[in-house]
Amino acid sequence: MSASKATAANRFGLGARPGELDRAGDGRQILLAQLREPPSLAEFRDLPGSAATLQREYEQQRANRANRSVEAAPKSSKPLMAASSESISESTTTAPGMDGASARRGRTAGARIADAPNDSAEREPATPAEALRRELRRQQLAEFAARYRHAASTDAPFVERLTQFWSNHFAVSIDKGNARLYAGSMEREAIRPHVLGRFEDLLVAVESHPAMLRYLDNAVSIGDDSRAARRAQRMSGGNGDKPRRGLNENLAREILELHTVGVDGGYRQDDVIELARAITGWSTPGPRDAQEADASFVFRANAHEPGARRVLGRDYAEGGVEQGRAVLADLARHPATARHLSFKLARHFVADEPPPALVERMAQAYLRSDGDLRALYRSLIESDQAWSPAARKFKTPNDFVISALRAGELPVGNEARALIGLLASLGQPVFTPRSPAGFPDTAADWSNPDGLFKRIQAAQLFAARVDAYSSTPYQRALSVLGSDAVNGDFAIGLRRAGSASEGYALLFASPAFQWRS
Amino acid sequence: MDAQRRGLLAAFGASALLTLFPGATRAATGHDTRFLLVLLRGGLDGLHLLPPYADPACARLRGEGAVDDPIRIDASFGLHPALQQAAMMYRARELLPIVAIAPPYRERSHFDAQDCLENGTASPTGARDGWLGRCVQAMPGGAGFAVAAVMPLALRGSDRASNWWPPLPKDVDPQLLQRLQPLYAADPRLSETFERSTHAATMARDGKGAFALPEAMRIAAQRMSAVDGPRIGFVEDSGWDTHRNQAQVLQRKLAELDQGLAAARAGFGAAWPRTVIAVVTEFGRTAAINGTGGTDHGTGGMALLCGGAVRGGRIGGDWPGLAPAQLNQGRDLRATSDLRGLFKSVLTEHIGLAESAVESRVFPGSRAVAPMAGWRAA
Repeated sequence: MSASKATAANRFGLGARPGELDRAGDGRQILLAQLREPPSLAEFRDLPGSAATLQREYEQQRANRANRSVEAAPKSSKPLMAASSESISESTTTAPGMDGASARRGRTAGARIADAPNDSAEREPATPAEALRRELRRQQLAEFAARYRHAASTDAPFVERLTQFWSNHFAVSIDKGNARLYAGSMEREAIRPHVLGRFEDLLVAVESHPAMLRYLDNAVSIGDDSRAARRAQRMSGGNGDKPRRGLNENLAREILELHTVGVDGGYRQDDVIELARAITGWSTPGPRDAQEADASFVFRANAHEPGARRVLGRDYAEGGVEQGRAVLADLARHPATARHLSFKLARHFVADEPPPALVERMAQAYLRSDGDLRALYRSLIESDQAWSPAARKFKTPNDFVISALRAGELPVGNEARALIGLLASLGQPVFTPRSPAGFPDTAADWSNPDGLFKRIQAAQLFAARVDAYSSTPYQRALSVLGSDAVNGDFAIGLRRAGSASEGYALLFASPAFQWRS
Repeated sequence: MDAQRRGLLAAFGASALLTLFPGATRAATGHDTRFLLVLLRGGLDGLHLLPPYADPACARLRGEGAVDDPIRIDASFGLHPALQQAAMMYRARELLPIVAIAPPYRERSHFDAQDCLENGTASPTGARDGWLGRCVQAMPGGAGFAVAAVMPLALRGSDRASNWWPPLPKDVDPQLLQRLQPLYAADPRLSETFERSTHAATMARDGKGAFALPEAMRIAAQRMSAVDGPRIGFVEDSGWDTHRNQAQVLQRKLAELDQGLAAARAGFGAAWPRTVIAVVTEFGRTAAINGTGGTDHGTGGMALLCGGAVRGGRIGGDWPGLAPAQLNQGRDLRATSDLRGLFKSVLTEHIGLAESAVESRVFPGSRAVAPMAGWRAA
């Protein structure tokens, strides 16, 4: 099966930038070359790490409390950021002091960020807490802007697609207030370093990142027979009441159901509880923890459930933090995990209903290589089925926007509020899937009349910003979609457009631009 | 049966139970009735919305996580205090809470449970379209309408269903639509989507700022209240998955739901007496509060029927009890009825679909699930 450069750019990449289809080699060789070296990540260089953000967050909370105790009027403080105030805390999904109205405003990333007044144009911050709050919000915006700037400009778009695939596989949502500041940094810190590595390392990095530990509540989970629980029991007088704090099985369930073996992977409720016990103590440093400068993970031995565990028929001796790691290592190598990951990747890149033979071939490559992701990706792009003309995918709103940024060579500024608001309007707000299952990935999920109409509206917005002097719409269409896709009425319309902006709008709104062919 | 459960059942009174006899189909005479489904994604804890406050097991299981001061609507159950409007509707006999009801799915995955609830089968992969979509398709006319950014599974399967979400401010150039028309006409997969897209976004969004459940319910109700408005509606909301601190989270979320019910009542206006709203969730949660002030995934959920066409002011459903032996797997409320039974009876008695169409097309494979009777106002 011939592997065209246009297919490499549009089915496996993020949509071509002008010039991308002129690279040497066929489509397959272009993709394989991208897997060899991790791409440059210059856009992310100046962003702070999660450990530093945690410290800023705690500072903000302290300043906020000080502020509240000085001024009796609660409306003077309006923390919008995260809320995990204690190491093992009873933090809420809404920041303390955040009233119902602002909580509702925060329903989507677009609403939360795009509607916010421009910080730089605002008056001087009234309090130190307010200044810190703004700093954290600016930092979050910069993180999102860097993500889209990188996607719009990278020379390794296949690697970026893979990165965003894993980010959605391990979905966290900024809808959960105390995970909000860390969703973007999880992609940067836990996923990017391992996207061309082993799945086991990716899995451990994600499950020990503050975003995941907070989003799925493991940061506050305590073994029922742990030292911390027994101490709490003694403090409450030992009257036999259920301890107020204890096990939370949320993360363990999603590790099994979504992250590794999958919902049909053969686990039972007992396995969920046993895994939840094995990872008790996996947490995030609190304000009172003395931390090394770069630590955003802490193992709380006091919270860990002592004893041996049994997960999916295997026994794990007590071993502190290593016990949970050992379970994750086995889950990463499980045949059900190989099939689950292969199916999702094949569905993401090839077709909503991927050929079973392709999925099986990928799963075998994964298992043979002991969970090496490069081997898995290679088995995908080396198969003929992946290049079949029948294989095609409807772009998600996120793919649509990124491909328009690339095709139009549109700059992404540091603020990116408008972009973030647009993604929310198109139905895929940044880092805000409605559940830990992530955003859906089939045409039926995204091809609806309302969504298509908004893409046409967005096409006009993008088209108005394209530099019309660099090429005509027709030339641009050829250079990003390839000559096979630009013919008939489409070519005529592009040539006859009344203005360059009308022509670009036609390009971005066309059916050819909605498919990853 | 232990004394506690007997007591609770007695407190309901036999007449309050939704009997599971297939009632004679009392098809709605006119075809101007409305049905709005509200899906709360994430597994709302029914024991928190509708605490069985009189049950000593409840206090034991919930401890500090128990609802303070529920609005006591009968001798056994109370509504969460955030549900003031709902309580007024209950007193006006327009609200019927139904206990221990769930889709046939009995595992603990949100996503599978939601798919099962929406596709109207006993399995998450049982159908690729939704029961509301198939219902619209089986209706002689009328349309379906979802307030959602993407078409929800529940309403897929009909070319007379549309979805809507607040639009972008930019007007579309009519010439662009003209030029796009032949391109989309030549794309079999998108031609119809395109044709409908140009009609879909004509609704202007009034007001700015929050677009949360209350506004979504108001818009759905207003749209549906029109003389030829959609008869089938769908609204969804997420954020109901409360593994920790659920008292605080649900205080806010239930207040939104309460505002939403009031907004829908106002939005339906003159159509309210011909309206049924069903508020459902994919499953319930563990009966005991967990170690972090929340609850984990369970089975038996709850539903609220609300509207002028509902015979409310009482509790529906069969209460299984909360004693250890009565719990499912020792963890959570048992589901004693299948949501499909409720939906089937709404479609026949209220929407006027023939029972045969409901059995064969909308809820295939559900013959064993009897429609619920006695929920509809005379």
